[in-house]
Amino acid sequence: MHTHQISRRTMLRGLGVTMALPWLESLRVWGDTPAATQKSSDAPVRLAVLFSGNGFHSKEWWAKGEGKQMELGKVLEPLADYRERMLLIRGLYNAEATKGNIHSSQTGNLLSGAPLASGGEIRSGTSIDQLLAQRYGRSTKVPSLVLGCEKSNPSVHKNYSMLYSSHISWSSPTTPTPLEIYPALAFDRLFKNGVQRGDKSVLDAVLADASDIRRQISKSDQRKLDEYLDSVRDVERRIEQAGKKGELQGWRPTLAKPNIPRPPDGIPQDIAEHMRLMADILVLGFQTDTTRITTLKLNNDHSSLRFPNLGVDYMIHHLLSHSDSADWLKVNRFFTEQITYIARKLDAIQEGERTLLDNTMLLFCSSMMTGNHNNDQLPVMLLGGGGGRIKGGRVLDYAGKPNRQMCRLFLSMMDKMNVHEKQFGDATSPLDEV
Amino acid sequence: MLVFAGELGTGAQDASVRPEIFEKDVRPLIENYCLRCHSTAKQKGDLNLEQFASLAAVRKQPKIWQSVAEQLANKEMPPRDKPQPTSAERARLAQWVDAVLDEVALAHAGDPGPVVLRRLSNAEYTYTLRDLTGVESLDPAREFPVDGAAGEGFTNTGSALVMSPSLLVKYLDAAKEVASHAVLLPDGIRFSPETTRRDWTEEILAQIRAFYREFTDAGGGEKVKVTGTGMVNSDGGRIALEKYFAATLAERDALRGGSKTAQIVGRERGLNAKYLAALFAMLEAKEPSLLLDGIRERWRGAKPGEAAALAAEVARWQKALWKFGSVGHIGKVGGPRAWMEAVNPFATKQELRLKLPPSPDGQDVTIYLVASDAGDGNENDFVVWQQPRLVAKGRPDLLLRDVPAVSNELAGRFGRHPNGQPLDAASLGVRAPAVLAIHLPFDVAAGCEFVTSGTLDRATGAEGSVQLQVLTTKPEGVGLQAGTVETKPGAGSWGEPTVSISSPIIAAEGSAARKRIESAFEAFRQIFPAALCYTKIVPVDEVVTLTLFHREDEHLARLMLDDTQRRRLDRLWDELRYVSQDALTLVDVFEQIWQFSTQDGPNAPNGDKRLEPMREPINARAAAFKQRLVDTQPPHLDAVLDFANRAYRRPLTDAETTELRGLYRQLRAEELPHEEAIRLTLARVLVAPAFLYRLEKAAPGSESGPVSDSELATRLSYFLWSSAPDAELRTIADAGKLHEPDVLAAQTRRMLRDPRVRRLATEFACQWIHIRDFDHLDEKSERHFPTFIALRGAMYEESLRFFTDLFQHDGAVTDILDADYTFLNEPLAKHYGIPGVTGSEWRRVDGVKKFGRGGILGHATTLAKNSGASRTSPILRGNWIAEALLGDRLPKPPKDVPRLPEEENADTLTVRQLTEKHSSDPRCSGCHVRIDPFGFALEGFDSIGRKRDKDLANRSIDVKATLINGTPLDGLDGLRTYLLTTRRREFIDQFCRKLLGYALGRSVQLSDRPLLAEMRRVLETHNHRVTAAIETVVASRPFLQICGIQSIAEN
Repeated sequence: MHTHQISRRTMLRGLGVTMALPWLESLRVWGDTPAATQKSSDAPVRLAVLFSGNGFHSKEWWAKGEGKQMELGKVLEPLADYRERMLLIRGLYNAEATKGNIHSSQTGNLLSGAPLASGGEIRSGTSIDQLLAQRYGRSTKVPSLVLGCEKSNPSVHKNYSMLYSSHISWSSPTTPTPLEIYPALAFDRLFKNGVQRGDKSVLDAVLADASDIRRQISKSDQRKLDEYLDSVRDVERRIEQAGKKGELQGWRPTLAKPNIPRPPDGIPQDIAEHMRLMADILVLGFQTDTTRITTLKLNNDHSSLRFPNLGVDYMIHHLLSHSDSADWLKVNRFFTEQITYIARKLDAIQEGERTLLDNTMLLFCSSMMTGNHNNDQLPVMLLGGGGGRIKGGRVLDYAGKPNRQMCRLFLSMMDKMNVHEKQFGDATSPLDEV
Repeated sequence: MLVFAGELGTGAQDASVRPEIFEKDVRPLIENYCLRCHSTAKQKGDLNLEQFASLAAVRKQPKIWQSVAEQLANKEMPPRDKPQPTSAERARLAQWVDAVLDEVALAHAGDPGPVVLRRLSNAEYTYTLRDLTGVESLDPAREFPVDGAAGEGFTNTGSALVMSPSLLVKYLDAAKEVASHAVLLPDGIRFSPETTRRDWTEEILAQIRAFYREFTDAGGGEKVKVTGTGMVNSDGGRIALEKYFAATLAERDALRGGSKTAQIVGRERGLNAKYLAALFAMLEAKEPSLLLDGIRERWRGAKPGEAAALAAEVARWQKALWKFGSVGHIGKVGGPRAWMEAVNPFATKQELRLKLPPSPDGQDVTIYLVASDAGDGNENDFVVWQQPRLVAKGRPDLLLRDVPAVSNELAGRFGRHPNGQPLDAASLGVRAPAVLAIHLPFDVAAGCEFVTSGTLDRATGAEGSVQLQVLTTKPEGVGLQAGTVETKPGAGSWGEPTVSISSPIIAAEGSAARKRIESAFEAFRQIFPAALCYTKIVPVDEVVTLTLFHREDEHLARLMLDDTQRRRLDRLWDELRYVSQDALTLVDVFEQIWQFSTQDGPNAPNGDKRLEPMREPINARAAAFKQRLVDTQPPHLDAVLDFANRAYRRPLTDAETTELRGLYRQLRAEELPHEEAIRLTLARVLVAPAFLYRLEKAAPGSESGPVSDSELATRLSYFLWSSAPDAELRTIADAGKLHEPDVLAAQTRRMLRDPRVRRLATEFACQWIHIRDFDHLDEKSERHFPTFIALRGAMYEESLRFFTDLFQHDGAVTDILDADYTFLNEPLAKHYGIPGVTGSEWRRVDGVKKFGRGGILGHATTLAKNSGASRTSPILRGNWIAEALLGDRLPKPPKDVPRLPEEENADTLTVRQLTEKHSSDPRCSGCHVRIDPFGFALEGFDSIGRKRDKDLANRSIDVKATLINGTPLDGLDGLRTYLLTTRRREFIDQFCRKLLGYALGRSVQLSDRPLLAEMRRVLETHNHRVTAAIETVVASRPFLQICGIQSIAEN
């Protein structure tokens, strides 16, 4: 009887593990028919998650009304052209993120709803993008892109690793997905045909090493080494696929090769330029169907970005968020403008009768409502048609209602991508209204 | 801090840790104050305290009770609005929890704990590769994602070091990049900062040139333009004759008397002892030598200041006895045989020409026909000056005999031999040595050239030898005169240059006299070669060349080098040939030149016949080199295995050796060339789990056991150096001796003295105090602090040097706060307002407290890091002191914090007043009274660490503060004193805790309590010397042992 509490946690953690495993066994090769039932002539649904840390202006993140009549708060105003494709969702929250410290335990489980381990350990849950990448992303060259515009924070804050503040994407409960913050390398990841003679033999050899070693080390070390083993296998598989011609039946992407040059090496000095390049790559990955799943962390929770480009250089993002100043609003709108930029680009790409924006779910969210660390509800906005399955121009309000778990939204989003889970994180049913 | 506040050693006997105490005193308290929320039914905050029905149950889950202790200490629980225990009850409960925890800690003391398998952090990966390759410029992880931190807040903690497919691809690319720096040598592999054959060749060239430079002087020669082929270079590779002569003159008596050896003199004067000895022996030698005798005589009479004159004399002869050719044409038919060739200035007959100088004042022009006896004093050297005449353009030659003034002056000498025999009527005969002075009227001489030919008269016989000169000034000496050798351009683009000699010696071919003089020349050349070696190595300024690298250094080897130096030079040359592959390139070069010569050469279109003999040797050399490349393949693979052995930080298993060799063969079978296959095998080693991860074999069974010596060496070297063991540590580990306590301690001390301990300063100390990578800190407003970007590197360097010094020189842990010294260069000293530090170089500066600095609290790094972009932040600074330096556990901030204004001058209140206002909010004040006063005391430093007494809005700064317990603080000095006295224990404990967490790569756990207590005790008895703490860690069970393979993580 005393173990009730523990078993609930164990079950949740266990779930994370079982969710991570199946893709290893059910490998599908690029070009094989996706298991997801979908008319082959329809363009696939894409998922983009855009994250900005430290919340938004406490009075200006809102929307009222419906369709064309929808009114937007100043933070969301830059998206006015797309209000009819917008679903503003109020009141959702992530219960586990309210339990620990501020910042360092408010972000790492945003996309999984999993409990976060403290005390020097690192454990969250597999995030929705990675779960989908493992199920759905197999049918593209790159299962998912995990991008960022700010380096992650290498420290521990009040017993929680700041890895949690820097990573929304988790490929396993113990593996925050390493971020790509170099635009050129993100571009390479999509389009560089990196396979060289001998690579396969080298990878075979190190895979054999790891398998041999695995037998001699402790269980916990084995788990860590499995990150390596899985990574090698994944890269090997890509090498094998690169040798094959992808013979997609029916629908074909509207663009076969990148139509923009490879970005210059290095990280752009100007944050606007950095974000713009990453946004371009996100769009390009979708447009060429090189990947269908991308997360872009625009900044960290507890971010130390400054914005000289906006004339706001006297205070870092995190400390700005502790105010409701005009400059804070300016910075918020700058972030929204990035979403607008992406939406505009996506909407300009025609895929049959729909635009790429119609075929995309673009989730824009943060770790807290405002810079005060309050996360009893989260700012959540879903843009795009999800393949014609989402009706925009609406405000959904779950504030004060029961079962307002963020993970319910994730179940809904998975549904749109034909991945039907009975449970995800702390949710067991999707949001019917989405 | 309550967690570690309990004194140890008494825990197990503590009377309070008895079941009946729990039943009687403790459980009722818990029931009264805790179970309302933390019951089995409610489990608020996921906490169920009802499950602890017995002391045994408590002992099984100490982690929960650690948290209870913390919350009690912080008065976070019970919540304010709930019934509170009396302070006596709170104290009783706290004391009891602590006693139980002590008991549990002692029972598990020495537990290695759950250490998650560690991938090398980006920093460790980089340091390791630099150490393995010796290439400091390698930065293969520059575009890797930043590592996370876990455990005690360090990036060397396994759980934060992840892997992913995209990261693995980066590792593979990085491994290939590192392998591209491998240079294949005849007997193995080395690594270069560069990645092209051209650059590697340049590196070796630079080494050989540096070698030559050690022994020779530059300059001394000249460049001569040669039509068609370019330039002949004769400079470089010279003996520093003046210095050597100066040494022999100054130390003549010491060397003679034996009070100084040539070795000593050489060392004193930076001269080559071997040559110095040879020169001195020559100068002192008695056996006669036609040329050297004159130099000896001059030397014997010379004073120390006359070295230059002696050197000049030698140089004149060097010029006469050597000639230089263009190295690019060596080997061609009719081309030079070497860069520097011996010249014997002999002739049987010589034409001498002299342009007559104008005579502006109408004086006669005097010329001297000099016939010396070539220094050998032969009695019957007869010389004939044939048809001396004046030549001018546009008129017939005028024989001197037909110039009345001359024929009068030399009445009867024309047409008559000194021995009375008749002679050509227009010629003159003399017996050498003889000087004929001829006075030419100025009107006759004007614009003319004087021409004659000199020869030995037949009557002289075979043994004659003379030296002839035509001069306009009266000659001084009578012995042999050094002439000059001149190179002149040949005709046409393929013509060979001609060499002319200004003052030849006329002697019959093969005569004994000629041989005698030749051997005198040779003796001179042996000791005074014009150049010791061709220091340029490559052809310079030549149009076409048939040589890529020219080695000519026999004189250097013979006169100056010992066997070791010779071997080194040979090895360098061998590497140059091997790495440059010039034997192969030359085949192409030759073919191109041949093709060229079929169009332009003297035998076009059939090609230059003079090149033809070179073809075969070039092809033969190339074939031999190709064979050599094949023969030297096995050592490369051996070198890869040796590299793997170091990269894996342990001996390779037989299976691994077989597999690596197998991979190489496999790659060759995939038709990769040898060099590529070697590189890829190297890359394979660098993506292997044995390299990327710090793998350790678990102890058998469920009990912990010692790690192997190799694993221990790896733990030690990554602890102190963030890198793989060096050769010494490996040798000791391989010999199975490292686990011996004395050996381990000695290695620890050795490694702490090593400069690589800077990495401990970076990865441990700077990370602990949150300033790692400060040189990239991009959080300051350029508008407010335009100087910051330029200074941040220097600020970081100060802290790095401070901690490096602390570890390297066994400083005291208390120095971290208390040091009255720091490390500065001029820009940083200016920033600090500390006078007397000039120049960009770094130095230790003592007595910095009187300038308001001292210890890390006065470092710009810590002050700036804990400030905002434009204003200071007493909260950040105070919180940093409380949490990072003292290890205070502060409750988490509330989720609705009040606002602060943005800019320091944007409000009428000072930063301090604002902070006080903010902190007076009752939701905040509980913590802020504990942290803000620390920050207030540091308000005398601005946002980038400058001293100030006014803020940006020109308001006065107040650095006085009062702590929660009433203790007053006054500025940095007051704060420092407080931390070093009242809070010293906490500071030392925090240092120990962080050091241990860093060393072990995990969070400090309950079972570490006794070890931490031991570290504290050892520090107290060793004047807080940092080495004492480090050695205690290294000798501890958690550091030496690993958990059993079947053990379940418990802590």
